[in-house]
Amino acid sequence: MDSTGLIILLAKLLIVLAALLTGAAYLVLVERKLLGRFQLRPGPNRVGPAGIWQPLADGIKLLLKEDTVPAGADRILFLLAPAVVAMVPLLLFAVIPLGPDLHLANRTIPLVISDLNVGLLYILALSSLSVYGVVLGGWASNSTFSLLGGLRGAAQMISYELAMGLSLVPIVMLAGSFSLVDIVAAQEGFPFLLVQPVSFVIFLISALAEAKRLPFDLPEAENELMAGYHTEYSGMRFALYFVGEYINMIVLGGLLAVFFLGGWHGPLLPGPLMLGLKIIPVPLLLIWTRATLPRLRYDQLMQFGWKVLVPVALVNIVVTGGLILWLES
Amino acid sequence: MKVDKDKDEGGIINGLLGLAASYRVTLTQLFRKPLTESYPEYKRPLPARSRARIILTRDKAGGERCVACYLCSGVCPVSCISMQSAEREGGRRYAAWFRINFARCIYCGLCEEACPTLAIQLTPDFEHSCRHPLDFVAEKEDLLVDHGGKDGDYDFYHYAGVDCGEGKGTHEAELPPVDIKSNLP
Amino acid sequence: MPYLIIDNRHIQVPRGTTVIDAAERLGIMIPRFCYLKVLGAVGACRMCAVMFEAGPVKGLQMSCMVQAADGMRVSTTHPEAVAFRRQIIEWLMINHPHDCPVCDEGGHCLLQDETISGGHSRRRYTGAKRTYPDQDLGPLVQHEMNRCIQCYRCVRFYQEYAGYRDLGVMGIASRIYYGRFSDGALESPFSGNLIDICPTGVYTDRPSRFLARRWDLQRADSICLHCSLGCNTVAGAHYRAVIRQESRENVRVNGSFICDRGRYGHAYANLAERPRQSRLDGEPAGWREAAREAAARLKRIAAAAGHSAIAVLGSARNSLETQIMLRYLSHHAQWRPPRFFVNGSEARSTAAVVARLDSRLAAGLPDLEEADFLLAVGVDPVNDAPMLALAMRQAARKGAKIVVLDPRPVELPFAFDLLSAGLGDLPAALAVLVKTAVSQAGTDGCEAQEKAFLAALPGRVPDEKLQGQLGQAGGWLAASRRPAIICGSAIAGPELAGLAADLALLLQTGKTPSRLFYLLPGPNAFGAGLLQRGSRYFPSLLQDIEKGGVRALLVVENDPFFRYPDQDRLHSALGKLELLMVLDYLPSRAARAAHIFLPGATVFEAGGSFINNCGLLQYAAPVHEGGIPLAQVSGGSHPPRAHAPAPGSEKCPSAYEALLFLANELAIRPPTMDASPWSLLPEDFPGQAELLAHPYPTDGLQLLPRLSEAESLQTPVNLPTSGPAAGALTVLRVEQTFGSEELSCYAEPLRQLAGPPLALLHGADADRAGVRDGEQLCFEIGGEKVELALQVTNRMAPGQLIIPHHYALGRAACRLPAVVAQAELRGLTGQDSPDLPQAITES
Repeated sequence: MDSTGLIILLAKLLIVLAALLTGAAYLVLVERKLLGRFQLRPGPNRVGPAGIWQPLADGIKLLLKEDTVPAGADRILFLLAPAVVAMVPLLLFAVIPLGPDLHLANRTIPLVISDLNVGLLYILALSSLSVYGVVLGGWASNSTFSLLGGLRGAAQMISYELAMGLSLVPIVMLAGSFSLVDIVAAQEGFPFLLVQPVSFVIFLISALAEAKRLPFDLPEAENELMAGYHTEYSGMRFALYFVGEYINMIVLGGLLAVFFLGGWHGPLLPGPLMLGLKIIPVPLLLIWTRATLPRLRYDQLMQFGWKVLVPVALVNIVVTGGLILWLES
Repeated sequence: MKVDKDKDEGGIINGLLGLAASYRVTLTQLFRKPLTESYPEYKRPLPARSRARIILTRDKAGGERCVACYLCSGVCPVSCISMQSAEREGGRRYAAWFRINFARCIYCGLCEEACPTLAIQLTPDFEHSCRHPLDFVAEKEDLLVDHGGKDGDYDFYHYAGVDCGEGKGTHEAELPPVDIKSNLP
Repeated sequence: MPYLIIDNRHIQVPRGTTVIDAAERLGIMIPRFCYLKVLGAVGACRMCAVMFEAGPVKGLQMSCMVQAADGMRVSTTHPEAVAFRRQIIEWLMINHPHDCPVCDEGGHCLLQDETISGGHSRRRYTGAKRTYPDQDLGPLVQHEMNRCIQCYRCVRFYQEYAGYRDLGVMGIASRIYYGRFSDGALESPFSGNLIDICPTGVYTDRPSRFLARRWDLQRADSICLHCSLGCNTVAGAHYRAVIRQESRENVRVNGSFICDRGRYGHAYANLAERPRQSRLDGEPAGWREAAREAAARLKRIAAAAGHSAIAVLGSARNSLETQIMLRYLSHHAQWRPPRFFVNGSEARSTAAVVARLDSRLAAGLPDLEEADFLLAVGVDPVNDAPMLALAMRQAARKGAKIVVLDPRPVELPFAFDLLSAGLGDLPAALAVLVKTAVSQAGTDGCEAQEKAFLAALPGRVPDEKLQGQLGQAGGWLAASRRPAIICGSAIAGPELAGLAADLALLLQTGKTPSRLFYLLPGPNAFGAGLLQRGSRYFPSLLQDIEKGGVRALLVVENDPFFRYPDQDRLHSALGKLELLMVLDYLPSRAARAAHIFLPGATVFEAGGSFINNCGLLQYAAPVHEGGIPLAQVSGGSHPPRAHAPAPGSEKCPSAYEALLFLANELAIRPPTMDASPWSLLPEDFPGQAELLAHPYPTDGLQLLPRLSEAESLQTPVNLPTSGPAAGALTVLRVEQTFGSEELSCYAEPLRQLAGPPLALLHGADADRAGVRDGEQLCFEIGGEKVELALQVTNRMAPGQLIIPHHYALGRAACRLPAVVAQAELRGLTGQDSPDLPQAITES
């Protein structure tokens, strides 16, 4: 690759990174504000007008806080685990196409950081990797609460990973490719949501579970486990867990847009903005869900994953396959 | 089985409708005005019996009500009260020093309940945060006020029957002292 | 052995046990106000009512008045009994004032507890309450009669048990009043027990008035250090000051009570002038720095002048641990063996006591209470060891004959015969008395050796009157079944102690289980006596210092100046030392004179083991951590505001810890640093094996050697039959109940009670000297003129001048020969004897 290509790549990386991190930071504020309003409170309103600088203040506060390591903790794992959590959703964004190729001064710039031909597998692989942050953090803290949180995280991840993977099989079947760019291209005419509503629902639910958001936040269930796997964390390491969670919410929106809503395709607006417009409602939906639904019981969680989502996804695959065969023949 | 019965009653449709109803409820809340009273801008008037900063009151004659009986420090669940009792000229018992560590105080009000002379009282004034932990340590001169607080008329020494210079048998509901040299029936 | 059922539980008790005691044995505490086991039952308060459901007695009865009998079935929780008691407590509370918040009894008040447990929280009676005037009962006891519930405990203790008459009960009907006829200090030296036994707050502790609540006190089991009896106390500390002591029941020692010297003598631990700062050549220095420098100097002196140039002086108030450490240290550093007594006479008396007291003879205070004849010789019980007087009174109450053989005008709270004999005549008089008794009882059971011993005893004393009294007392002794000899060591020499043991043995072989009870000069004098074996006495050490043989002296918790007669000599001798190192907690003269001074910890801070006069090892637990009393740090105002460590909380190491540190610096390591002090015991220590078998701390172990028969009877050597030549006075320096003992003389209330010192002289001597009762005599004491009022009495033996070890004199220098020479006792003091009077004779 020539040097210009490298610079362009770096610029793309920077822009995506900045957008994601700021997005995550302000998503925290948005969540707090919205939750406040859902509960008839104003939400944070002290730092700057309407609390606009709250994320900044939080960031400074968390940076300045003491970074504690509990006695008896597995030090190296304890320090590494939050990084895994924060890194995985960032890496996920690498394969999400942001828009059509850009033609600039004889140069074709693809608006995706990396167009992997197995992009979908990459996503599935990475998202299961993120459970390591939870499990290791829970294990390394040398705390009962953390350990239980980590265990729940692992169990939940395994249960819902399956449903998530199965829900994407029809998409691959429809698009005929694992590449996300190809999947987006395949939706130029109509978004897959219209033909795969069941897949959409399964993916949304299992992604919710993987993001450990309410009503699936059993790994950190605060009224049983203090804060679950990140009970013992403080300062910036604690913040990394949070950054990871909120980036994950954005990435989830991105994936939903790519797989079911036609990615950057859309009328009027340029690709990246269109994509953004499709992403934004997803975190808001998640926040709304958090304000609405109570946490599931553990057995309900497991039953729902294994006895409802997986069978339904399997049936969906068979039906989709059958339809495709029938249409083609 | 109960679970099955629940399922039968609900059914998928009902469940989904229930879900949707709850989403609707929360959504309507989103557009209502917040109920919050923003604290420093608006200060709600507190009832007289709300429990915050502790004071030591005086009786009507201006004397310190506290007799340093150690009941408040004995009952304090966080041991934030300490004192030294002593005897004043004339026989009144008083606190030579009296200290409350507000950094420890949990404002439970047990001291006020235990106080037999109504000396120690909790007031609605709760705004006394400060930076340095030792600034929370309040001494007697910080605690003593020049009024009787919630029950200003009560004076322990009018009922206790101890002689602090005014003589035996001069208090409420007391007979004059017995003549110990008399053997008349 | 009656067998009865109380609350459906079966128990068998000895005949004569009351039902209330039987219930207590089962752990059922029947409420009571007037009943106290030692005082007996009077049935005055009606609180202990229980229901007798079956047996010889039926119905609601007072459990303290009914003796347990076979077939009784008793219910303490019968509804009728409960209702009855509930009503009684409400009646008792009718006139009780509403002053618990300002009453010192609040928090450990029996009346408070019973009121609440009776279910009363509100007074139904709204009428006027009865009030009483209060009295000033002196500096120890505070009076507040309004609180009285008329249980009679105080009068029963004060008059019946202790035998003093000045507090009594007056008035009739609802005007019953307990107090004195007029204001004034209580005369009994046991008055503090009124505080303990009063079920409510009529009598409260005056020195600790309004200082703390019971629940705030740090309390621990302690031992009284103010005489050799080793009475058990509970000491309570608050804000780093020891503020209150109460008696602790121990049926082997003091029973239920303690004397006022023990109860109020703890002020020395809280003194403002107590030295807390270590000093090096007069300058303040850090503790470690000073201790290291001491070790360095000791090493230098040992290198320059040999190990034997270093000597050690402990004391009879050292804990046993300290004494053991001293002995261990001086043994391994090859210093001179430790001395523990400044006074040579005391050292030899104690040595004699330790050598002669064995398990066949030793009696404790409870044994004395059971005796039917008590012969006290060289003892003034109320002044020497007040609790001894209380025990003797219990014997007297049970009908024992009591004879006191002493030069002093002994006064006791019961009927007794005082045989006044001069100090020099005491051994002979004792011998005559016992000889008379044994001869009267017959010598059939005696062996030849005992007969020889008996024959060698003198048969007469010069004084005809005394001879007659001795004959009479000998008759009583011969008729007694359980006699006991009480022998003092404060004024009499070691001969008397040895003789007393011989005579007790003689009586035993004759017929009776005769017992022996010694008084010793200090709370751990027994331990000192056991550990001083092989060492010579302090006066010889003084000579060595003067000759330059001893260059360094390590004084541990002792003040040679306090009791040594020749202050000038002591002062110049100690001035010759290269190193005078003092380790003490008292602001003593020796501490001020020391080159290196290390502050020590009192028994309340360090704890310690002490062996009492009967050889009983007892442990005093530490009460508080140590440090300067908060009131002194803060100057009466609020304590300093600071995070921990708070100012003044630095604790002084105990003498044991200091010596351990010194041993380490001198490279003498005890076997292990945290091993039990018993592992350092010398092998000739009695009970060493037994002690090692017990975990440290050890409490309640009797450490008495078992002597073989052969070495017990020792033929007396030339018993003196008379004191100094006619015309000369023997000067006795005597102990007082208050104000003379080394530790308790710092207590202000006790000083008030001690009053000014008095010189005592017999009427005949006063006539010859031409001095009158009440006259002020001028003595020159240590360069200071001290005026003593003279009291002339004929109750004492002639030929003696009795001066108390008074606090006002105790800290001044006391050159006793000079006292006599310069006294304005015209014509009496002509004799220029080279010997010191016997009371202070040195070895």
